[in-house]
Amino acid sequence: MLKVVDETKKAFLTGNETIAWAALAAGADIMFGYPITPQNEVMHYWTRLAPKYGRGFLQTEDEISAGFTVCGAVQAGKKAFTATAGPGNVLMQEPFGMAEAMRLPLFAIIQQRGGPSSGTVIYSQQEVTLTTFGGNGEGYRVVYSSATHQEIYDYTIKGFNVAWKYRWPTFLLGDGYQAKMREPLEMYNPEEKGIELEPAYPLLGLPGKIGEDREPQHLCNIYSLEEELYDVVMNLSADYERVAPELIEWQEHSCEDADIIILTHGVVSRAADDAVKALRAQGIKAGYFRPITLRPYPTQQLREAIAKSGAKKLLIAESSYGQFERLTKQEIYGETIKIEHLYMPGVGIIDHDIINKVKSVL
Amino acid sequence: MITPAVPKSWYLPSKPHKFCPGCGHGIVLKALGEVIDELEIQDQTIFGCDIGCSLLSWNFFACDSTQTHHGRTTPVMVGIKRARPELISIGYMGDGGGYSIGSQHLLNAAVRNERVTLILVNNTNYGMTGGQMAPTTLPGQKTETTPYGRDPEITGYPTKGPEFIAQVTPDGAYVARATVSKYKQLKRFLRNALRNQIEGNGFSFVEVLSTCPTNWRTNAQQTWHFLEDEMEPYFPVGELKSPFSKGGEK
Amino acid sequence: MAINRALELKSQGRQVTLVDLDTVEPFYTLRPLKELLEQMGLTVIGLTPTNSFGLGETGAMLVPAARWALRREGDIILDVGYGVYGAQTLNLVEGADTSTELRVIAVINYSRPMTSTKGRIIEYVKELGRVDALVANTHLGDETTPEVIEKGTQVILECAEELGIPVDYIAVDRKLADKWSPDFGVPVKWITRYMPAAVW
Repeated sequence: MLKVVDETKKAFLTGNETIAWAALAAGADIMFGYPITPQNEVMHYWTRLAPKYGRGFLQTEDEISAGFTVCGAVQAGKKAFTATAGPGNVLMQEPFGMAEAMRLPLFAIIQQRGGPSSGTVIYSQQEVTLTTFGGNGEGYRVVYSSATHQEIYDYTIKGFNVAWKYRWPTFLLGDGYQAKMREPLEMYNPEEKGIELEPAYPLLGLPGKIGEDREPQHLCNIYSLEEELYDVVMNLSADYERVAPELIEWQEHSCEDADIIILTHGVVSRAADDAVKALRAQGIKAGYFRPITLRPYPTQQLREAIAKSGAKKLLIAESSYGQFERLTKQEIYGETIKIEHLYMPGVGIIDHDIINKVKSVL
Repeated sequence: MITPAVPKSWYLPSKPHKFCPGCGHGIVLKALGEVIDELEIQDQTIFGCDIGCSLLSWNFFACDSTQTHHGRTTPVMVGIKRARPELISIGYMGDGGGYSIGSQHLLNAAVRNERVTLILVNNTNYGMTGGQMAPTTLPGQKTETTPYGRDPEITGYPTKGPEFIAQVTPDGAYVARATVSKYKQLKRFLRNALRNQIEGNGFSFVEVLSTCPTNWRTNAQQTWHFLEDEMEPYFPVGELKSPFSKGGEK
Repeated sequence: MAINRALELKSQGRQVTLVDLDTVEPFYTLRPLKELLEQMGLTVIGLTPTNSFGLGETGAMLVPAARWALRREGDIILDVGYGVYGAQTLNLVEGADTSTELRVIAVINYSRPMTSTKGRIIEYVKELGRVDALVANTHLGDETTPEVIEKGTQVILECAEELGIPVDYIAVDRKLADKWSPDFGVPVKWITRYMPAAVW
C-alpha cells in the first residue's frame, strides 16, 4: 500500500477532510456515497485523492443504494465505507440492518444535523437513537462518538479494524460542527504507531473450485421458522455481549468526590470538560463522565463512577431532546441518582450553559 | 407605488427571490406563474418542491405549497392528487430529486399514469450542496465528485429522463423537454402539461434545461454556450408525447 | 486572510468592499461576521446566517450584488473558497477577465495536507488556473508556533521560485509577534484570527 502520510506531523484540516485521509491510511478500498450536507466534503476529498492511491468511488443514486453497495463490497472482501447525515441516515437503516443480521464489517460516518426530517444542515446530537438502535434489529453495532479531530482520525482507523475483526457494523458518530471546523491533529501511518490493519477477507467469491476445494457460500438474512430466528438472535446477542467489554471506551475524571456528575458525549464533552474545571475552581465538586462508545455503552463503568462518588445528581447535557438520556437510562436502570438534563436540540452547548445549569440544580 | 409586472400567482413578500444571478429557476417559475394565471387555477394549485435549489421555490407562489424530502416530491404530489382529485398537483424538483434519489418514484408514477404534473429543472449538477455530479452531468464535465471529469465508463451516461418516461407511459401522458433559452416554447409546454392534468388525460412531465453559472463557474457568455451548444444537442428539446398534437412539437 | 487585508486597507483610510464568493459547502465564511465587519467600516457583500434563507441547505448561493462587485468604487476583496474549478470561480464576477487591476492571490497553508509537500503545493497552484501571487499562511490554529510557520514558509518560498510566482507576504498571528525573528526577505504582515468566530 502506497504510504499515505509522508511524515508524521501536525496538520490543520476540517473533520470531513480528516475522515478522507484517515480512511486512506486505514486501507479503505472503496467509498460509496450520496450528497447530503454536512458530509459532502468527505466525498470531495476522497474523489480527489482516491485515484492517486488506487482506491475506488461511486456516487450512488441515493443513500439506500450507498449502504447496500457497501454491504456488497464487504461481502466480496473489500474494505468499503460510506458517510451520511440526517435523512440519509434514516434511509441507510435498511442496509445497516442487513449488515447487523449478516455480520458485515460495514463502516459508516454519521455527521449529525438537525432533525427530525430535513431539520437543519448544521449540527445536532439527534441521531443517537438512529445510529445506536435504528433499523428493525437489536442494535448489534459499535458506535464511537468523537469529540476532536484527533479522535476522528484515530477512530476512523480503529473503526475499520474493529469492523473487520469483530464483524459488527461500526460507526463514527460525528456532527456538523466537527465536520466543518478546522483543527490541528497529528496524521500518521498506522504502522508507525504499531497499529496493525486487520486483514479483509471475502464471504463471497472465495478462492477454489466449487465442489472440489470448497462448498458454495449461501448467505441469507431471512428464516422460515420462529425457532430458527430465535436461535439466530440469541447467538448474535451472545456474541455481541461476549465481545462488548473489549470494545467499551470511556473517559472520566474528577468523579471520586463529585456531588454532581456531568454526563455528555461527542463534541459537547469538550464544553463539559471546561465546565468541570471552572466549577471546581469555584469550589463546586463536579465530575466528568463521557462514553466514547455509545454502543456498547460503558454501563458498568458509569455505575461504578456513581457508586464511588456518592454523587446526588447526574446532569445529562445534549444537543437533542433526550436521546442520550434515554439511552443512558436504559443502561443504568436501577440507579437511584437523580437525573437532571440540559436539552438543546440542534444547538451547540458551551461551558457556560453547563455551568449555569449546574448552579441552578445544586 | 410601482406594481411589479409579475404573475398574480407569485407571492410578493418572498421577492426578490434568493436564486443566484443567472440561474434558470427564475425563468421557469415566471413561465409557470404566467401559465397558472392564464389557466386561472391559482386557488386549486398545490405546489410541492424538493430539497436542493428547488427548495428556494417553497414560498414562491401565492398557492398552497409544501416542501417535501429529497426525491420524495413525486409521491407526496401523487398522494395529494389521489386524496383530492379536484386539486391541481404540481411537483417541482431538480435533476437529483427526479432522476437519482427520486427516480423510482418518477418511474412508477409514470407507469401508473398518475394525473400529476412534474416539472424537473435540469442544470447538470447538484447545485445547492455545492456542485456534485448529477445524473445529467455531461461526459467529461467537472464537478466536486468528478474532479477529473465525468467518466461514463465508471458512472454511466447522462440520464435522458423524458425519453424513458415517454417509453413507459400509456396514452394520455404528456412528456416534453423545454429550455430556458426558448421562453415562449417553455410556456407552451408548461401550459400543455397543466392542461393535460386539468383534462384528466394522464401523467404530465416537463424537463427544463436550465443554467447554473455559480456551479459551472461560467460568465454570461460561457453560460449560454454551455446551455445552447452543449446541453441542447445532448438533451433534445421538444414534445416527446402529447395528446394534443400528433407527433408533438419538435 | 481576506478580512485582515480588508481591515488593513480600511485602516489606511480607503473604501473597502469584501465579497463572499465561497460557494462550495461554505462553513468558514463571511456570513456570521458580516455585522461585526460592517461596524468596523467595511462593506460586506454576502448573506448573513439569518437571511441565508433559513430553510435548510447552506447554499451555494450567490448574492446578485457579488456579480457586479468590480463595478464598485474603492478596493474590492473577493474571498474565493475552494472547489474543483479553482480560480474559474472568478467567471462569476463581471469583468474579472478583463480587469487590469485584479490580482489573484493564492493563500497557502503548509499545515493543510493537500499543500503539505513541495510537490503538492506546486500541483495545487497549477490546478488553480490564474495565480498572480502567493501568500504564505502556514499555521496550526491555536497550536501555531514560530517553528511551524518557518518550516512552511521555507517550502512555500521554494515552490514560488519554481513556479515563477512572487510571494506577496508572510502572514503571522499577531500574538506571536514577539517570538518571530526569521527574515525571509519577504514582508511579514501581522494578522488577527477571525475565523473561530466565523462558525455559522
